[in-house]
Amino acid sequence: MKLILSEKDVRILDHGPAPVEQILLEQGINPLEVIVSRNGKLVSEDTLIEPGDVVRVIRIAHGG
Amino acid sequence: MHKNEGKPGGPACSLCREPPVIYLREWDRHFCGVHFIADLEMRVADTIKTRGLIVPGDRIAVALSGGKDSTALLLLLHRLLLPGEGVRLVAITIDEGISGYREETMRSAEHLTRRLGIEHHCISFSALFGYPLDAFLSGREREACSICGILRKKALIVGAGQAGATKLATGHNLDDEAQSVLMNVLRGDLRRLVRNSGVDSSGKFIPRIKPLSLLSEKEIATYLMLRDAWSELPECPYTRYAMRREVRSMLSGFEYKHPGTMLHIIRSREKIEQSCKGSLIAEPMHSCRECGDPCSGDLCQVCLLRQTFTR
Repeated sequence: MKLILSEKDVRILDHGPAPVEQILLEQGINPLEVIVSRNGKLVSEDTLIEPGDVVRVIRIAHGG
Repeated sequence: MHKNEGKPGGPACSLCREPPVIYLREWDRHFCGVHFIADLEMRVADTIKTRGLIVPGDRIAVALSGGKDSTALLLLLHRLLLPGEGVRLVAITIDEGISGYREETMRSAEHLTRRLGIEHHCISFSALFGYPLDAFLSGREREACSICGILRKKALIVGAGQAGATKLATGHNLDDEAQSVLMNVLRGDLRRLVRNSGVDSSGKFIPRIKPLSLLSEKEIATYLMLRDAWSELPECPYTRYAMRREVRSMLSGFEYKHPGTMLHIIRSREKIEQSCKGSLIAEPMHSCRECGDPCSGDLCQVCLLRQTFTR
C-alpha cells in the first residue's frame, strides 16, 4: 500500500490487510490528530486497508 | 475491537449502512458523510439554543482568522441562522503581521466571506498598535502566544465594536478548551481558570460565545473536508515556542487512550467555576489610566505591553 503523509513523505508499505488505526499507530501517529482518505474517500479509523490501496494522512492539529 | 458491520470487510454508518467517514468513539457511532454533517449541525444548533448563545436581533461578529476552526464556525452559523430570526453576521479578521504566514490565511478568509456574502472587516496590528506582531516579538519569541493573545483580543473587541456587534463568536473547539484548562492548571493560574468570558455583569465587555466548544478538532476537520472547505494552511511560525503545543500532544495522547478525557476536563472546570462563584472571580473593575478601557488594575494589558515595548 502507498501511504502519503505529505507531498515530501510518501511511503510504500509491504503490509497485509489492516485497519487504518493500526497502520497509523505503527507509523507513530495518533489517530485523533489526523483524518485519513483511502483511494480518495474519507474513511473512519476502523476501516480495513488492503494492499494496493492509496492512503492519505492529513494532519489537522495546526497552531495558529 | 473493530466494528465490521454492513459491507463485508468494513464498518458502516449507524444510520444508513453506507461506508462511514468517522467513528465517534464516545458515542460508539459511525457516520457517513451525509449523516455526520446533519449530526454535527444539529449538535451545534443545540449548543446555541440550550446555552442561549444567540438570540433574535443579535449582530454576531465572527472572529475569522481563515484557519479551520473559524472557517467552520462561519460556515455553520451562516447555515444555521435563519434570516427570519433577525440575526446578522459580520466577520472580523485580524492581520497580526506575521510575515510569510498570514497572507495565505487572510486570502482564505476573504474568499470565504465573498462566497457567503458576509460583511468582512480587517484590522491590522500595524494600524491599531503601530507595529506588526513580528516587531513586538523581536527578542521575545518565547512570549509570542501571550503577547499575540493580548493584542488580538483587543483588536477583536475594537473590530466588533466598529461593526456594531452585540456578541463576539470565536471558533474555539473542545481540544482548545481542554488545553486552556490544563495550561492554566500547569501555570497555577486559578483566576484565569475560572474566568468565564461569556458572562459579564458589568456590561463593559462584549460577550464572547464559543458555539464549537463541544466539537473535537477531528470532527471540525472532517466537517470542513465534507463541505469542500478544507485547505492545508501553513502553521504559525511562533507555534514552536508555545506551551500549548506540548499540552496539545499530551492531551491528545490521553484522549486516545482514555476517550472522554477532554470533556471531563471541561466539566471539571465548570464545577470549579461554580464553586468559586462570587469569591475568586469577584474583583473591582477600573478604567485603564492610559486608554480608558476596563481592566482590573491601573493599566490594561495592552498598555502594559506597550510600556515594555521600546523601539
